[in-house]
Amino acid sequence: MTSIASDARPRLRRDRSGGWIAGVSAGIARRYGIDAALVRLGFVIATAAGGAGIALYLLLWLVVPAGDAPAASRRVPAGARASVEVALGSGLLLLSVLLAFRALGIWFSDALVWPLVLIATGGVLIWRQSTAGAREPAEQPAPKPEPVEAATKTVVAVSRTGVGIALVIAAGIAFLQATGALSAARDVVLAVFAVLVVVCVILAPWIIRLVRSLASERAERIRSQERAEVAAHLHDSVLQTLAMVQRRSSDPREVAALARRQERELRAWLAGRPAPGQAESLGAALEAAAADVEEHHGVPVEVVAVGDVPLDAGAEAVVGAAREAMTNAAKFGAGSTVDVFAEASPERLNVFVRDRGPGFDPAAVPQDRRGVSESIVGRMRRHGGRATISSAPGSGTEVELVLER
Amino acid sequence: MPARRPDLPSLAAGLAVIVIALLMLLDERGSIELSFAVFAPVACAAIGAVLLAAGLSRR
Repeated sequence: MTSIASDARPRLRRDRSGGWIAGVSAGIARRYGIDAALVRLGFVIATAAGGAGIALYLLLWLVVPAGDAPAASRRVPAGARASVEVALGSGLLLLSVLLAFRALGIWFSDALVWPLVLIATGGVLIWRQSTAGAREPAEQPAPKPEPVEAATKTVVAVSRTGVGIALVIAAGIAFLQATGALSAARDVVLAVFAVLVVVCVILAPWIIRLVRSLASERAERIRSQERAEVAAHLHDSVLQTLAMVQRRSSDPREVAALARRQERELRAWLAGRPAPGQAESLGAALEAAAADVEEHHGVPVEVVAVGDVPLDAGAEAVVGAAREAMTNAAKFGAGSTVDVFAEASPERLNVFVRDRGPGFDPAAVPQDRRGVSESIVGRMRRHGGRATISSAPGSGTEVELVLER
Repeated sequence: MPARRPDLPSLAAGLAVIVIALLMLLDERGSIELSFAVFAPVACAAIGAVLLAAGLSRR
């Protein structure tokens, strides 16, 4: 018979529900089965005997996890918690060095050093918050946060910036107070404040109108860009499929297969999921697009790729534009081979699509034809790149796509 | 049996307690005078070291 022995005693955890401050005494009492009042008395005696009680309590507060630690650790990401601990630890070590210098007499002045420390702390907080967005990895889009998580992030960002600003202001006031310049500064601040209030009252209607106008202009620009993206996507997918359905209407099985494939792609796009079988790098995506065009139009497409990058939003735009250029070359290139040359580096993506067909006059393309204007030129422009189309009747066509990253 | 890795935060906390205890012992024997000006940086350094160790071990 196998028996499993287990320790009936609870593990040492801070008991926040039964504690007065952080639940250290209550946790120790529960762990060893004694009265919490005795533990608290021990801390009080140790504090009165030289202050060790406070230090010991703080240490245990830091080291002993709370009773509901698993739930708490689910709420706070381990990386964020580690960063906070490293920052606090480094700050305290720096503070201990400053205090040690002060105790040894190697010191400038309280009026200078402490405001500088406060300014540095506040500055670090503000700087860290202001650069938080830039540190997010651009290649992998973050999953959409839950509303509660997003609200918590906003509260943390606002409180961090608020604490930083408060620290810097407190440092300034402390410095002015210590140097006896606070009353003079107060007069200046009051005067500036009064002038600002007067100016704001006079200019308020214009400022409000300007802000509203800028906001509505920005919203309109975003709507316009989104509309263009949707139009380009529909042109490249649904319209192309409908055109092929018309051409192959004599073969019901192929038409049904085309419709099924288009339906799957469209459903994935509407749900924000990657399309079935979507490639993960620029080179693979170009190969897939070339195979697709070759299959649908029966024209050979040769792809040569030098270097490769992960398929982020910019690379996806380049693939979309290249695919449209390949489709145009297959449709209007009089059956000539379509050559695709791609050169990818972390700094720059460069793709050429060439055919030896009859060519065309780019200036003569009607404005309502979205293939060139939206799916190639507009798409590249919206993602910060450019598309150059070189063609003339009788000399083939070359489309160059460039995206600086 | 695999070698057990030392827990860095516990190690730092233990060392910090030992240092504080030594300082208190020296104060008791009259070798040093453990005033607030001396104790404050030591307490800050101890707590800072424990936090730093905890943060680094979590990364």
